[in-house]
Amino acid sequence: MDPSEVEFLAEKEVVKIIPNFSLDKIYLIGGDLGPFNPGMPVEVPVWLALNLKQRQKCRIVQPEWMDVDKLEEIRDLERKEETFTPVPSPYYMELTKLLLNHASDNIPKADEIRTLVKDIWDTRIAKLRLSADSFISQQEAHAKLDNLTLMEINTTRSFLLNSLNCMYKLRSNLQPGSSRGKSQDY
Amino acid sequence: MFITDIRKEFYDVVVNQRVALLVSLDIDALCACKILQALFHCDQVQYTLVPVTGWQDLGTAFLEHKEQVKLMIKQDDDLGVPSYDDIFRDEEEESGDSGNESDGDPEPSGKRRRYEEGAVERRIERQRAKREWEARRREILFDYEQYEYHGTSAAMMIFELAWVLTKDTKDMLWWAVIGLTDQWVHDKITHMKYVTDIATLQRHVSRHNHRNEDEENSLSIDCMRISFEYDLRLALYQHWSLYESICNSSYSSCHFKLWSMHGQKKLQEFLADMGLPLKQVKQKFNSMDMSIKENLREVIEESSNKYGMKDIRIQTFGVHFGFNNRFLASDVVHAAAALLENTEKDESPGDNFIKALDCLSRSNLERLHGGIALAKKKLMAIQQTVASCICTNLILSQGPFLYCYLLEGTPDVKLFSKPMALTLLCKYLLKAFVCSTRNKRCKLLPLIMAAPMDVEKGTVLVLGIPPESDTSDKKNFFGRAFEKAAESTSSRTLHDHFDTSIIELKMEDRTKFLDALITLLS
Repeated sequence: MDPSEVEFLAEKEVVKIIPNFSLDKIYLIGGDLGPFNPGMPVEVPVWLALNLKQRQKCRIVQPEWMDVDKLEEIRDLERKEETFTPVPSPYYMELTKLLLNHASDNIPKADEIRTLVKDIWDTRIAKLRLSADSFISQQEAHAKLDNLTLMEINTTRSFLLNSLNCMYKLRSNLQPGSSRGKSQDY
Repeated sequence: MFITDIRKEFYDVVVNQRVALLVSLDIDALCACKILQALFHCDQVQYTLVPVTGWQDLGTAFLEHKEQVKLMIKQDDDLGVPSYDDIFRDEEEESGDSGNESDGDPEPSGKRRRYEEGAVERRIERQRAKREWEARRREILFDYEQYEYHGTSAAMMIFELAWVLTKDTKDMLWWAVIGLTDQWVHDKITHMKYVTDIATLQRHVSRHNHRNEDEENSLSIDCMRISFEYDLRLALYQHWSLYESICNSSYSSCHFKLWSMHGQKKLQEFLADMGLPLKQVKQKFNSMDMSIKENLREVIEESSNKYGMKDIRIQTFGVHFGFNNRFLASDVVHAAAALLENTEKDESPGDNFIKALDCLSRSNLERLHGGIALAKKKLMAIQQTVASCICTNLILSQGPFLYCYLLEGTPDVKLFSKPMALTLLCKYLLKAFVCSTRNKRCKLLPLIMAAPMDVEKGTVLVLGIPPESDTSDKKNFFGRAFEKAAESTSSRTLHDHFDTSIIELKMEDRTKFLDALITLLS
C-alpha cells in the first residue's frame, strides 16, 4: 500500500469546522452533511474541511486529542511502556500532517504539537523495529502486536514481508545442500 | 468602463463567466494578477491568463479570444485614471459629454417669431453649440492625453475588492504591498502618494496581525507575518553585503558620487565614522556580527544625516515566514523585475512572465533567490554603466533636454534592451548627472535615453523621463512629443508600450527624430 493511499483513507475521519457560508443539507453517497450556517460548528469529513479551508470558506477546529498537554502525557506513557500504548486516533499521523499543513493558523501551538506527534511516532516506530528484529532473530512463527495504526504497519509491511520471503528461500535451499556439502569435502 | 462599486459591478458580473485575464508586463500588474487568481480559485472561476507586452499584443489576444469570452479585463498601471479602463474609454467620455450638451441646448424663444425664421435660428444655434462642444472636447482630450502619470496601484485596488468580499488573506496583502513598492522603486508615483498608500496598507497589516496572535496561542513559525519597517533605502542589503549594497543603490551612490575617487574616499570615511570595520561590511549581511547588526539602522541614519543623506530610511513592509526567510518588499520587487526581463537565456516573454509570477508565491523560494541573484547583477550593471557615462561625458545637452545614447559595444547593453531596466538606468543616470554637474540650467532638464534593442532588426529603444526635482508630480509629457516628432519626420517608430514615453525607433531615423524633438520642445 502506498502512504498516499493510507492518507486517502484517513481523510474520511470527521473533524469540526465553523463555516462562514450557509448551505442546506447535502446528500452524498457516503452520508448526509450539513446544514451549514455561518458561525455554527458542524462535523464534516477531513477532505471537505480541507477543501473549504483552501477556498477560505471555513475555520477548522482542532480535534480534542490535538492538545499539547494530552500529547505530552501520551508521549511519556509511550516512552515508559515496552508495548504499544493506545493511540489518540487511528490516523493520528496523517491528520496531524494534513491539518497542520493547511490550517496551522487555526490551531494554537502548532509547532509544539508537530514536535510531540513526531516524538510519539519515532518511539513507536523504534519499538516496531525492535520487535521485528527480535521476531526474526528468534525465528518465531507468529507475533501479536496491539494498538498499531495502519500507517505504522504500512512502513514495515513491504520490507518485512520481502525479507521474510528471502530468508525462507535461503533456509529452504540450505537444508538439502548441507548434506551434499559434507559429501564433497574431500 | 468606469465603475463605482467594485463588488457589484465587476466581481459579481465576472464570477459566473469564463474570464480572459490580459496582464501587462510589470510587477504591479503581476501582483494584481496573483490576487485575482487567488480570488478565482476560491470561487472556482475558469480563466485564461495571457501576458501582453503592448497595445498590438492586446489587440491580437483580444481577437484570438473574442470568440469564446464576452467580457474582458485588462490590468496595467495606469495613465491617471482608475485601473478598470477599457480600450473604449474615449467613447465613454464622448457619450457623457454629448449627453450633457444636448440637454443644455438652449431653446430659442421662438414663440414670437415666424415659424421659418425660428427653425433657421434654431439650426444655427445648434450648429454653434455643436462647434463649441467639439472645441471643448478637443481641449479636454488634449489635456487628458498630454501628460501621462500613474494612479493607484492595481494590486491595491484588487486587494480592496478582496477585502470587501472578506476573502483577503495575508498572502494577498503582501502582494498588494509589493505592487505599491513596485510603483515606488520604479519612481512612478510621488512621495506623498506613496506615504498615503502605505498608511492605508498599514491599517490592513495591523488588522491581520491582531487576528490570531496573543500570549497563549502563539502562531506557528511557518505562518506569514508582515511587519511595518522603517528600513534603509539600500537595495537588497539583507541579501548582499552592506558595502555592495551601498555602492549599488542609486540613493547612496549619487550622494557619495561613487564614480569618482573622491567619492570612494568619502564612503570609506562614512564607514569609519560609523565604526564599522571594512572586513565586516564586505561580507554577507547575515554573517555580520550581531553586535553590529543590532543598531545598524539607527547608526546609519545618524551618520547619513551628517553626509547630507536625509532620507536614508523609508517606510516599507517586510515579511517573515519560516526560520530563515525574511524579505523586504523592495527585495521582492527587484527580484521579480529581474526575472521578468531576464535576458540571459533566450526565453520567450511568456516563460519569463510565468517565472516572475512563480517567484511571488511563498512556496517557490529558490525562484525568488534566483531572482535576487539576477537583480544583483542588474544593479551592478546599472552602476557601472552610470559610472562610465558620467566619467566619459556621454550625456549631451541638446537644448531643451539631455540626451544619452548607449553604444552597442557597451558591456551589459543587452540588459538595457528591456523597458523596465532601461527606465531604472535612466532615472539613476539623471540623478547622478544632477549631482555631478555644475551647470545650474542642466539640472532642470529632462533626459532622453536611447539603447539598442534588437541589433538584427536595427531598432533602438527610446525613453524619456521628466526632470529631476523634489516636488515633481511625475507627469510625463514625452508620449505626445514622441508621436508628434515621429509624424513630422515620418520616422519608422512603434508606439506599442502601455507606457507612452517608451518607443521603438529604427536606428537610421535616430538623428532626424532627435532634431524634430529639439525643434518641438524648444
